[in-house]
Amino acid sequence: MSEKVKVTNLVKTFGDNEVLKGINLTVQNNEVVVIIGPSGSGKSTLLRNLNKLEEPTSGSIVIDNVDIARNDVDINSVRENIGMVFQHFNLFKNLTVGENIMLAPIELKKETKEQAEAQAKKLLATVGLEEKFGATVQSLSGGQQQRVAIARALAMNPDIMLFDEPTSALDPEMVGDVLEVMKKLAKQGMTMVVVTHEMGFAKEVADRVVFVDDGQILEEGTPEQIFEHPKNERLQDFLNKILNV
Amino acid sequence: MKRKVLSAFGLLAVFVAILFCLGLPGSKAQAKTYQIGTDVTYPPFEFANKKNKYVGIDIDIIKAIAKEEGFKVNVKPVGFNAAVQSVQSGQLDGIIAGMTITPERKDKFDFGTPYYKTGAVMAVKKGSNITSFKQLKGKKVALKTGTAAADYANSLKKKYGFKTVTFDDSDNMYQDVTTGNSVACFDDQPVLQYGIKHGLKLQIASKPANQGWYGFGVKKGTHKQLIKKFNAGLKIIRENGTYDKIVGKYLGTTANPQVKGKTFTIGTDVTFPPFEFANKNNKYVGIDMDLIRAIANEQGFKVKIKALGFNAAVQAVESGQADGVIAGMSITNARKAQFDFSKPYFNSGVVMAVAKNSKIHKLSELRGKKVAVKTGTSGADYANSLKKKYGFKVVTFDDSNNMYQDVTTGNSIACFEDHPVMQYAIKQGTKLKIVTKPALNAPYGFAVKKGHNQALLKAFNTGLEDLKASGTYDTIKAKYLGSDEIKTAAKTSGNSAEDRTFIGLIKQNQGALLSGLKETLWLTVVSIFFATIFGVLVGLMGVVPNKFSRGTSTTLIYLFRGMPLLVLALFIYTGIPSLTGQKIPAFVAGVITLTFNEGAYIAAFVKGGIEAVDPGQMEAARSLGLPFGKSMRKIILPQGIRIMVPSFINQFIITLKDTSILSIIGLLELTQTGKIIIARNLEGFKVWTIVAAIYLIIITVLTWLSNWVQRRTKV
Repeated sequence: MSEKVKVTNLVKTFGDNEVLKGINLTVQNNEVVVIIGPSGSGKSTLLRNLNKLEEPTSGSIVIDNVDIARNDVDINSVRENIGMVFQHFNLFKNLTVGENIMLAPIELKKETKEQAEAQAKKLLATVGLEEKFGATVQSLSGGQQQRVAIARALAMNPDIMLFDEPTSALDPEMVGDVLEVMKKLAKQGMTMVVVTHEMGFAKEVADRVVFVDDGQILEEGTPEQIFEHPKNERLQDFLNKILNV
Repeated sequence: MKRKVLSAFGLLAVFVAILFCLGLPGSKAQAKTYQIGTDVTYPPFEFANKKNKYVGIDIDIIKAIAKEEGFKVNVKPVGFNAAVQSVQSGQLDGIIAGMTITPERKDKFDFGTPYYKTGAVMAVKKGSNITSFKQLKGKKVALKTGTAAADYANSLKKKYGFKTVTFDDSDNMYQDVTTGNSVACFDDQPVLQYGIKHGLKLQIASKPANQGWYGFGVKKGTHKQLIKKFNAGLKIIRENGTYDKIVGKYLGTTANPQVKGKTFTIGTDVTFPPFEFANKNNKYVGIDMDLIRAIANEQGFKVKIKALGFNAAVQAVESGQADGVIAGMSITNARKAQFDFSKPYFNSGVVMAVAKNSKIHKLSELRGKKVAVKTGTSGADYANSLKKKYGFKVVTFDDSNNMYQDVTTGNSIACFEDHPVMQYAIKQGTKLKIVTKPALNAPYGFAVKKGHNQALLKAFNTGLEDLKASGTYDTIKAKYLGSDEIKTAAKTSGNSAEDRTFIGLIKQNQGALLSGLKETLWLTVVSIFFATIFGVLVGLMGVVPNKFSRGTSTTLIYLFRGMPLLVLALFIYTGIPSLTGQKIPAFVAGVITLTFNEGAYIAAFVKGGIEAVDPGQMEAARSLGLPFGKSMRKIILPQGIRIMVPSFINQFIITLKDTSILSIIGLLELTQTGKIIIARNLEGFKVWTIVAAIYLIIITVLTWLSNWVQRRTKV
């Protein structure tokens, strides 16, 4: 296994508030890393640093041997290889489902409309929404929107996918479909970093689980180590709270 | 959606058109109206001036004759050939179009007494060495179809061996020579003379040949009466000097070389009868107007009258926007510090006037009362100098009419005004009476900015002397103040004869109202265009991730949204020229004003509209790798614009209304038009009702449109 992402001493502050306090994290190729932790712990901020939606304050983030924390990096071309899925889907409301998926390939990869359309339809099929190609975004349910958002991110053929609490904004009955798509992706060997509260997903799919609290990684390990034999006190606390609701 | 918006605008246009068609002339003229054909453009005989009004020697002559002989003419610039044919087919009654009397034409036309002598000449490009027909061998020569000069050239063609190219109008013919396609052209001498005087880069290279006369023509055997009237009228205008005046106006025979051919912008008051006021046809007349025009005519310069209002006119001269001011302006020592005055052309004095039924007749009776004055006048100075002594309060107005009304309605007890002005207003039906003798005898003078435009000042003085010597000065004065003339003056301004009902007022003023409305709409459309560009640009600058650009945007919005439109208009119109020395036309100043002001509001809601788009949209676009600009264009703007549409339409309505404020810089838009009409007929209530109704109709249509678009664009 080779290193895909190597985060070293990452610090992020908002004004006086230090949200990330020196994170060190490595993601191997084809690895699925799930980040868990209480809300406000900095896990989303950590994820958003990985494609520079947040500007790192200090430290380095090396992806494919390029330190994207530096200012001279062409961030747009870096982002083309990193797919991002948001909690609130963020589908483009002025475009149809098909157009949402085709926009980036046409604009950035200079694909023809026909190529982009064929690919979009294929991607929609893999997320189980082939009949929604011409639909408006507003006509879809939350779960459907999130699956389209995943298809949109995949359209650029990224080699890593970031998921920022992809199921938190969904009605419970929608969650399964989205997780199903994510599992399929993991099986195909996609490198994934997932911030989630779905412990079932973490147990089943994650190669490694990372527990973040107060801007620091307090413990990491296989799902079994984390869920069955947690060492850190705060992790034990956290698991008690969410598993015994 | 776009098409539907367009069709809605079409609907608006139809609505407005209907409104004005309702007021089409119903009053049939008693005098017969003749349809006279003329050429499209044949300066100096006929051409559209800058205001798109047809003028020229032919037009002025036929109109002067018609006036003398008591008939009416409707001059139609259909083009020379079309006019000839229309007269033959009976569509038109006569033709006056620099038409040379030839034997062939006499077969088809009856001509009046020849009115202008002419001859064909050859013209070549300025600096060309061609001086004789021999040099034309093998070359191309430009001609205009159907002219006597073309016939002449064709008769020489074989002998001198040149080729001819034919054009349908003079301009194209001249251009063919100036660009070098042809080496020479043939045209009537006065036409060429006039053109060359006005900058045509040609020179006359032959003596007038084939000399002939221009004549007024009718179809052979018809309209004997018209020819008779034409001949009689021509005789009169030749004898009374009108003919020479007309010809002199265009060919400038007696012109003063220093000012000859130049156009001066002269500022004047909006309404200060009998010195300046708009007559029934909304043309500015009055002692000042007639005088400056007669002097300009005599001295060979042109004047562009700008009725700005007294204060604005004075400021316009100070700032260099206008070259001179003639506005019943008293020569005072204070003003001499800023202006150079001509010799006095009128002696005036200040009188006090009170309501007709008032018992007040002395200054001492004013104690504790309110007195109305007009800003910047000697009347105001006089009143202010007395107010302590007699203990009265002063209320200030911007025009005479409002000042009079304040007295007639009893708000103020008296007003102070220049004697002739007060006299004239009372004769026109203002319900006031003069109760004091003229005080502060102050002569009126024509003024230019101190140290500037000295040639114009000199020309005014010389011209004034000439007019006094020739008696024209007395004629002008008598026309407005002479006891006999007052009745006719009253009649022409039509106090008794005019129909004062709403319909009547609309009918009489439809031309003025329509052109005011046009100016308003035009101003609105042009301003909206630029304001939108400015606003969108500044709005976008406010959302890009760059501190400097955001700061600039915020500052611009702060500055232009914070400044009253009126102040901004005056600053741009009078302030900028003082700083740069460059004149700005009022329309341009108006457009700039609205662009900045409305643009600032647009910028604010463009910024707001973009900021109202969910920030997640931008994040999603950026995380796909789309650059900022592309994300803006493809994702954010399309969503932001939907949010902005109602604000845009609202802003358009506001812009339309705000144009009325630009009347302050003398733009003849709807509000200013209303002001001027009222200045003449004093029907304030009715005219403002009409003006208000016009605004309301347009705004109603726009509001309806706005609601409709809003419904359409709901997400």
